[in-house]
Amino acid sequence: MHENLLYLKAALEKHPELKFVINQEDWQTDFLRFYQSQTNYNISKDNCNVGCSLYKDKKQFSFGIDSPDPQKIDNALAEALNIIDSLPDDPDFVDVEDDQRLAPQRQLSNNIEAISLERKTDILSSLAKSAAEHDFELYGTFICNYYKSRLINSNGLDKSSKSSPIYLEVKAVHNKSQITVLETFGGEDFKYFEIESFRAALMAKILNASNPVVDVEPGEYEVILAPRCLAEFAQYLCYGMSASALDQHSSFFEDKLNTKVFPEFITITDDPQDPRMIGRDYGYGGHIYKELKLIENGVFKAFMCDQYYHHKLGLPKNGNSASCVKIAPGNATLSQMISSVKKGLYISSLHYMNFINPRQTSLTGLTRDGTFLIEDGKITAVVNNLRFTERISRIFENVTELENKAATIPFSDNYESFHVSSAQAPHAKVTGFNITSSTKTI
Amino acid sequence: MQQKIKDIIAKLQSPEVTFADVRVSFTDFENITFVNGNLRNFSSSKSSPAIGIRVLINGCFGFAGSKDLSEASIERLIKRAKDNAIHGAMFQKAPLSFPTLSPTFADYQHNPEIDPFAMSKEEKLDYLQKLAQMIKPEGKIVHSYVAAEFERQEKFYANTEGSFSHTTVYNTLPLMNVIASEAGQTQSRTWPGHMSAGRAGFELFHKQNFLENTERIKKEAIDLLKAPVISDTTADIIIGGGHLALQLHESVGHATEADRIFGQEISYAGKTFVKPSMLGIFKYGSDILNIYSDSTDPRGLGYHPLDDEGVPGRRVDIIKDGILVNQQTSRHIAHMLGLEPSSNMKASFADDIPLVRMTNLCIAPGKGSLEELIASTEHGYYLDFTKTWSIDDNRNNFQFTTEIGYKIENGKITSIVKEPTYFGITPKFWNSCDAICGEEEWAYHSTFHCGKGEPGQVMRLSHGVAPARFKNINVSVKM
Repeated sequence: MHENLLYLKAALEKHPELKFVINQEDWQTDFLRFYQSQTNYNISKDNCNVGCSLYKDKKQFSFGIDSPDPQKIDNALAEALNIIDSLPDDPDFVDVEDDQRLAPQRQLSNNIEAISLERKTDILSSLAKSAAEHDFELYGTFICNYYKSRLINSNGLDKSSKSSPIYLEVKAVHNKSQITVLETFGGEDFKYFEIESFRAALMAKILNASNPVVDVEPGEYEVILAPRCLAEFAQYLCYGMSASALDQHSSFFEDKLNTKVFPEFITITDDPQDPRMIGRDYGYGGHIYKELKLIENGVFKAFMCDQYYHHKLGLPKNGNSASCVKIAPGNATLSQMISSVKKGLYISSLHYMNFINPRQTSLTGLTRDGTFLIEDGKITAVVNNLRFTERISRIFENVTELENKAATIPFSDNYESFHVSSAQAPHAKVTGFNITSSTKTI
Repeated sequence: MQQKIKDIIAKLQSPEVTFADVRVSFTDFENITFVNGNLRNFSSSKSSPAIGIRVLINGCFGFAGSKDLSEASIERLIKRAKDNAIHGAMFQKAPLSFPTLSPTFADYQHNPEIDPFAMSKEEKLDYLQKLAQMIKPEGKIVHSYVAAEFERQEKFYANTEGSFSHTTVYNTLPLMNVIASEAGQTQSRTWPGHMSAGRAGFELFHKQNFLENTERIKKEAIDLLKAPVISDTTADIIIGGGHLALQLHESVGHATEADRIFGQEISYAGKTFVKPSMLGIFKYGSDILNIYSDSTDPRGLGYHPLDDEGVPGRRVDIIKDGILVNQQTSRHIAHMLGLEPSSNMKASFADDIPLVRMTNLCIAPGKGSLEELIASTEHGYYLDFTKTWSIDDNRNNFQFTTEIGYKIENGKITSIVKEPTYFGITPKFWNSCDAICGEEEWAYHSTFHCGKGEPGQVMRLSHGVAPARFKNINVSVKM
């Protein structure tokens, strides 16, 4: 299985002057795309890749080989050895990772095998039948991946890990109005998927979507953010908690370590060990990935820092990258939160966010997949998708209430590369949320 | 390789298979990044293989792709693609179909002026290091980078209709950026903006005048730290080519991808406000607006003699004299809409499924120079160099921020503004276009990074544009 990786390791060990990090990744996906309550594509893909980063003093060169074999490895290594002496130095490079700790082994099924195409089709057919009763059709993806990796470096690290994310995204779209609502399931253990709870959640959203459609004026609104929205804002906020952002002078958290930045009921951790989440054993470079408190009771606690920036900036290293963000729940029930809103909005999902000024955490983005008007404590209408222009720091400063339970939300990151991750968050009530325009469409 | 692909096609020919195609690609890629004057990354992958097999059975497509081109892998992929189609057909209401096309044979081999993979490593690194040294942190400049991405892709395509193509192209993406900081404020400037790629080799660095613009971006980044924001509520804006390419991309390009109409991309990329009933009647823009998709122009990254489902390259009018007249389609969707397929089905690599993609989507030039357009503007802003972009699920409401704005008063640029932000609704915005510069200002602006599809793909594509003016645009966003 790893003969090519070990072949490369043996070849590199003939060059004691080199430091190296090599890793092999084996990846498969079984990807069902559906639209209008029917299959669009069934897609299967696989890949095996060996990557290698070589260091000679402060010179560095990397190469990758898809579908490797000894001949390809010999050719790539010969080229690397030929070029590395001619490269300019990176004075900030000191050493490759030396964290020897191993993550506990997780019991995982290969979900591509565990969840057959027949079972996926049965689940989707059943959900489509329920949605059709309300003139909604289903669109989305049902994805199972299986991923294995092994990393070896010249400091003696030899670490293996695997994951098998499941991602089910169902968008129900009304055939005439195009009103859209979203329900998702994600994780690595399909035993947590209960079709009747999934159906009930989806149907409740479909019923909310039967309200009339209205538009609202730009302005500041009290909003209830669904867990998906709060988690996504937190993920964007975490950009500024990275050592690389600090190094670029683009971090909101510069000079704020151990400073109170948010209300004391805001606690954000990066936790890969929750069984309902999609796990992560190691960070970039092979450092063990463990729970890290980022915001504790409103106080900023840590930058996420790898070996490189540890040496460059003198920060403690931790291997984290905000892949498993969790926001601690509060005390209120969702119905209490909604009933306490005189006039406001319920926001289900966000779309196309982009920073305007990352240091200030200012960004713009849109609502999507169900935005609802709340009047006198009740959802009374569907609202056209809206644009907001906000500072994420201000959103967290303006959280007044958090739901008493957190939901696990999967994210399918399809920009540049295909990747599934998860986060946990409760609903949040936020005051003064800045809506800057309407899209005039659903 | 040609014989190998023909053998695969022969194996796919059977009564149950209505249509099938096979793609094989080999990709070289090199990425060089200098940060703060120092080489931070030099990475390379050579001749990375990929294969994708797509079959249409019982009116449903099945696909299997891999990086493994061995015989055993190919046998496995054929079986998996067929199984995927057969299972897919079990959850289907309307079987997919499209008319047969006559076979096409094509060969295209692109040769850049300076092959980035063949030139001397020393020459390449010396040039990039020199650039990096010229913009390294000093004073208020606190961070900088120079990045270069080079790609060569050889691709083979064949289908059961007898079509075959073999192409090789070189693409290059050069970029440099500086960040200035003072008293808790940061501002950045890039050159030549985020649509900097081209169908070219290393010569693109010279053609885009990198060495000549290092001092400019450092000065502008520092000047922006103390520049005001726009104080107007609405204003006339002239949008420069690099940023106009993105405006076109987001609010016309993606909006007229017909797979969005049918919801095939809802779960990630989104929908579109464009409906089939709008064709031929919808006033998308002003009378001077002519937009076309042209996969026959080899200057752009979207050139191909044959797309990734066997449709020969075409030039198709999308907007003619301001009216929406066509869309970017697949064979299946074109058939449903009663259109000829527009040759817009593309996959990033052979192991990706083809999607409806922009190729070379262009605005036809108007008349006059940028200098003349600025001179004819009484009060407004010249905006370029994208900083932030965002557009809604239906491609109707957009908001963009550029790195810098140049204030125009009485036909002259008088000062700069920071983070100029404008927003609008797509048709209203394009209907406000009252001037487009001429051929002398028209150029391709290209990207490596158009994300779409699930599993995710990034596409290389181009936009040909000249600077244009838009009247009475919202430029006030309450923050």
